[in-house]
Amino acid sequence: MAEIGHGGKEIVERILPPAEAAQKIKGLKTYEVRSQIANEVIDLAYGYFTPLEGFMGKADVESVCKNMTLANGVVWSIPIIFDMSAAEVAEYGVKAGASLVLTYGGNPMALFEIEEVFEYDKKAMCQDVYGTTEEKHPGCARTYGYKDKFVGGKITLVNRPKISPPYDPYFIPPLEMRKIFKEKGWERVVAHQTRNVPHTGHEWLMKGAWFQTYADLPIEKPLVGVLVNAIIGEKRKGDYIDEAIILTQDEQRKSGYFGDHNHLTSLTFWDMRYAGPREAVFHAALRTNLGLTHHMFGRDHAGVGTYYGPYDAHRMLESVRDRLAITPVYSMNWLYCPHCGEITSEGLCNHRDEWQKFSGTVIRSIVQDGVKPPRLIFRPEVFDLVMECAEKYGFGSPFVTDEYLQKRIPVFTIPPM
Amino acid sequence: MAEERYPINIWINEERFAALEKAGLAHMCEEMLAGLKLFRVYANEQQKDKILKVFPTAKFDSATTKSIELLPKDVKDKIFDKIVEKQSVDILGDFLSGY
Repeated sequence: MAEIGHGGKEIVERILPPAEAAQKIKGLKTYEVRSQIANEVIDLAYGYFTPLEGFMGKADVESVCKNMTLANGVVWSIPIIFDMSAAEVAEYGVKAGASLVLTYGGNPMALFEIEEVFEYDKKAMCQDVYGTTEEKHPGCARTYGYKDKFVGGKITLVNRPKISPPYDPYFIPPLEMRKIFKEKGWERVVAHQTRNVPHTGHEWLMKGAWFQTYADLPIEKPLVGVLVNAIIGEKRKGDYIDEAIILTQDEQRKSGYFGDHNHLTSLTFWDMRYAGPREAVFHAALRTNLGLTHHMFGRDHAGVGTYYGPYDAHRMLESVRDRLAITPVYSMNWLYCPHCGEITSEGLCNHRDEWQKFSGTVIRSIVQDGVKPPRLIFRPEVFDLVMECAEKYGFGSPFVTDEYLQKRIPVFTIPPM
Repeated sequence: MAEERYPINIWINEERFAALEKAGLAHMCEEMLAGLKLFRVYANEQQKDKILKVFPTAKFDSATTKSIELLPKDVKDKIFDKIVEKQSVDILGDFLSGY
């Protein structure tokens, strides 16, 4: 039975078997891509970006920017584009009908069947996608850094990525993920999107969303799961290191705060755009393809600085609700109330003057100082694992440093064919 | 109008609490987040600006706690050592004079 993804399109892995791949790429020019493009090649090839089959042509880019849909009307919020310089276009003979072999780390990765070469006003793209043209918005900075030509065309993987430990158990592409959900008997699955090590505020966000998703289903057998889907991509100094993020998210299940019957950790390769509302819509499409039925969204989802209001993403999702195949679940904040003596929801507790809110920055400070917080705030197993990851992977720090950026284990490599 | 003050939170484990007790400052510890002890030193506007300039990884948490966070661990250690040495919370001027 076909697995249907976002836009009603079947999820198809665009991956050639090795013998066929070797034949197909013979004699073609090779072009080395950077990590952003390698991430997106994987996403396109494994069906994470269904209904997309490759990098966008101009019609889709224009429609995504102006209407937040593909040219065929399917909701899509962020352009997925391949940039090259004019000189490169000439040097590599890039034109409609031509093909290139994209390489990563010097090894063949994907066949790029080119359909068009075009230009697009980057400032206009920023205004449409990010709601600003300011260079200090990281999404705009990324866009302004693109070369001046864009190339649209289909992508087919010719060489599967080798996922490095400790990430390998968490790379679960859409078709495989849907199989797992069926095996677990989950009728509903709610996505928890993260780039963080979890404190108990996060844990309760997941628990709250699980209850919201469970709703009126019968309780004799566990029918609902939380899928933690960590975004793994470009890192900034001060972020938690990727190893700490993925391992501590799973530690919640291993240490019994969740269980195999209701929790699974996974990753998706993607460089965050911090597009706020538009990124929320993108996440909805992405997690639909992963087989999820629900997606939790807190305040200022995928935002940065003060570019977006706390509920802008919720309003954007509501505006396209009837065209999404996933149900948004809106999460209120959890906080510590000393009067209640517990973690509680801002929707429930009325000791407002006594509320102590979770501040990601403060928690990071505490972790940075190596002081173990109370278990009500930060699970001891998670804390111990953060410290262990700092030593094992982070060159002494659980946060990204210059040394980490230079010497870290790559999350994936493309092996020689 | 009272001058605005910006706290730097020094998180207190057992070892640090013992040092504060010896310095006669343990009573100045506060508690937050279900029993986590902290000791606050306060920066004025000028000191805050200098701290954020000298230590670029530090961040002013304007969203939630209005405190100066993410100072490097060794800097926090030095601030704490100065508090214990001087047996006083008013050490930031002295500390920053070294930068």
